[in-house]
Amino acid sequence: MNVEITGLTRRFGRTTAVAGVDLRAGPGVFGLLGPNGAGKTSLLRMMATAMPPTSGRLRLLGRDPGRYGQRRQIRRRLGYLPQNLGYYPGFTVAEFVEYFALLKEMPAARVQAAVRVAVERVELGGKAKARLRTLSGGMLRRVGIAQAIVNEPELLLLDEPTAGLDPEQRVAFRALLRDLGRRATVVVSTHLVEDVGAACAQVALMDRGKIVFHGTPADLAARGEGHGIGDAPLERGYSAVLTGVRS
Amino acid sequence: MTADRVREVTAAQHRKTRPARPPRAGVRLARLYAASRRIPAAVAAIAACAIGLRIALAGHWDSYGALQLPLVFEAGAAAAITVTTASPHGDPERVAGRWLPFLRLAAALALTAAAASALAAAGTGAHLAGGTLDALRNVAGMTGIGLLCAAALGGGLAWAGPTGYLVLGAYGLYTQWHGPALTTPWIWPARPPHDLGAAICAGLVFTLGIAAITVRGARDPAGE
Repeated sequence: MNVEITGLTRRFGRTTAVAGVDLRAGPGVFGLLGPNGAGKTSLLRMMATAMPPTSGRLRLLGRDPGRYGQRRQIRRRLGYLPQNLGYYPGFTVAEFVEYFALLKEMPAARVQAAVRVAVERVELGGKAKARLRTLSGGMLRRVGIAQAIVNEPELLLLDEPTAGLDPEQRVAFRALLRDLGRRATVVVSTHLVEDVGAACAQVALMDRGKIVFHGTPADLAARGEGHGIGDAPLERGYSAVLTGVRS
Repeated sequence: MTADRVREVTAAQHRKTRPARPPRAGVRLARLYAASRRIPAAVAAIAACAIGLRIALAGHWDSYGALQLPLVFEAGAAAAITVTTASPHGDPERVAGRWLPFLRLAAALALTAAAASALAAAGTGAHLAGGTLDALRNVAGMTGIGLLCAAALGGGLAWAGPTGYLVLGAYGLYTQWHGPALTTPWIWPARPPHDLGAAICAGLVFTLGIAAITVRGARDPAGE
């Protein structure tokens, strides 16, 4: 298992963002669904080693991120795209991705080729020398994905990766996700249930800091049978689970 | 030779033959880091402070003005250094390996050294009140305040530390003429350049600031 989480909790003052989450994930694409404020981003940030948990146990790629040496090993094998990616507008696309490749301690001889491949995979090969300040929101999102995958991570964490992408780009991105999921554990946090249906083998639904459903997209769709709210089976399942939990 | 010895020798040979990190990758990383932190702009601002000080020293000032004037340029240089701690990249950069603390440390030390050198050079042969020692102490101390400010408030607000301390320092100097005089070594601009207590206080603040920015980096309000 690349992700093993037991009783993970994160509090911000009196607010409990993540409340005793248990989760296990191996290679493949794992979808994390939930309404705003459900705790998805906090959970992802803890998995990205950007924020320590208040309590609970977290093991990533068989290592303990609480220990400095093991955290370093995890970070070398990690790709992370946050919900709001900051960037220096004077960088070109290639420079931005190269900067992260160098920071992630990739072998120097492999950096240029890895940057080229990552930029091509997000279909920005023609824009490699364009300054970030000249790109659209969707293109910037793809640059963010490129920096996350440049080191061929074993654990890839993507927070709302399809926000700002047009339908054609989203279809291409789902194909990329499926490809990445063959070798790595890819955790995708999203509001868009269609992304989950198209790309994820497993899905967890979070509400108020807890995981209230864990199964396959087909299981989630089955939960929505006979439920009135939602246009698509997955939406009906999503809505049915949340309604059941809240009632 | 035992199996353990063979393993030891093989491991030692492996360590010897393991290719070292090519220096160009390190240089490239440093260059990209410097660009993302707008360090060239900070260097230009430090040079402008030094030139400004040199021009100002060409004028005729009374003792009070001659003491306060360098402090303004020293605070300007310290503010320019500290705003370079702001990271535009947030979490993905923070979780991307071990080089970041070293880059932060190197940038802060190099810029502080450049600022102290530039201001001292600007004052050479031009009656810089307090001399080189004073410039070094004031720049280091105010940079330390700015770095602590960056760690607590964020890189974008780091300039507030040196600017606020400039007001305090100027007031400390003012009290030397209009008593009661402030004599605490924590207001080091109001102390003579050879005052050991003032030098220790400024050095301590600088060390704390460097340690905070190296280990934690500037606070990222968006990532909190």
